[in-house]
Amino acid sequence: MIIEFVLMFVIVASTLLALVQKDLMRTVIIIGFQGLGLALLYQRLLAADVAVTQAILGSALLPGLIAVTVFKTRRSQE
Amino acid sequence: MNGSEVQFWSFVTAALLMIIGIYAIIFMDNIIKKIIGVMLIGDGVNLVLITEGFKPGGIVPIISEKLYNQSPGIFQEFADQASYSLPFALVLTNIVIGASTLAVLLGITIKLYQHYNSLSVHEIFKEEKI
Repeated sequence: MIIEFVLMFVIVASTLLALVQKDLMRTVIIIGFQGLGLALLYQRLLAADVAVTQAILGSALLPGLIAVTVFKTRRSQE
Repeated sequence: MNGSEVQFWSFVTAALLMIIGIYAIIFMDNIIKKIIGVMLIGDGVNLVLITEGFKPGGIVPIISEKLYNQSPGIFQEFADQASYSLPFALVLTNIVIGASTLAVLLGITIKLYQHYNSLSVHEIFKEEKI
């Protein structure tokens, strides 16, 4: 039971931490942790197939896409 | 701490994700952070649907071989115990559509940066006004 609460705390805290960073690459990395925590929470909420998809997309593909965008534009927030 | 408490706090987490996402869309200056806000709202909606299908103390809705060989009335027992699996199909579709939407938004962002040479919404609208 305690695992779900730890995961919820990780999700909310990493979301808040990602939005206050000035360096956008740090934002990308912390958003990856948010997607991974969300995938593990889906697994604990008995949704195994959704958890697999979210683990691939939320922790690898979407941060990768955002990282490519950051590399092609400006890294620091003005 | 029991299962329904997990369900309640999971709803609270989804609500917080949506609130943070709306805040990021409205108040953040950087466009990439606004796009991350869009992503967070989608995650919140997905978490609401998944939590709606959660059954405290239930099982994952997959019939294993061990479960199948146990007893004759196994499908009734399975339907009683398994978590509700209609939201999973919705959420799977929504995750993939969210990824495609995010890719399109990021492509538009790159073109916007090449045109205005800035990612700040303040800068872009200031330049357009002059």
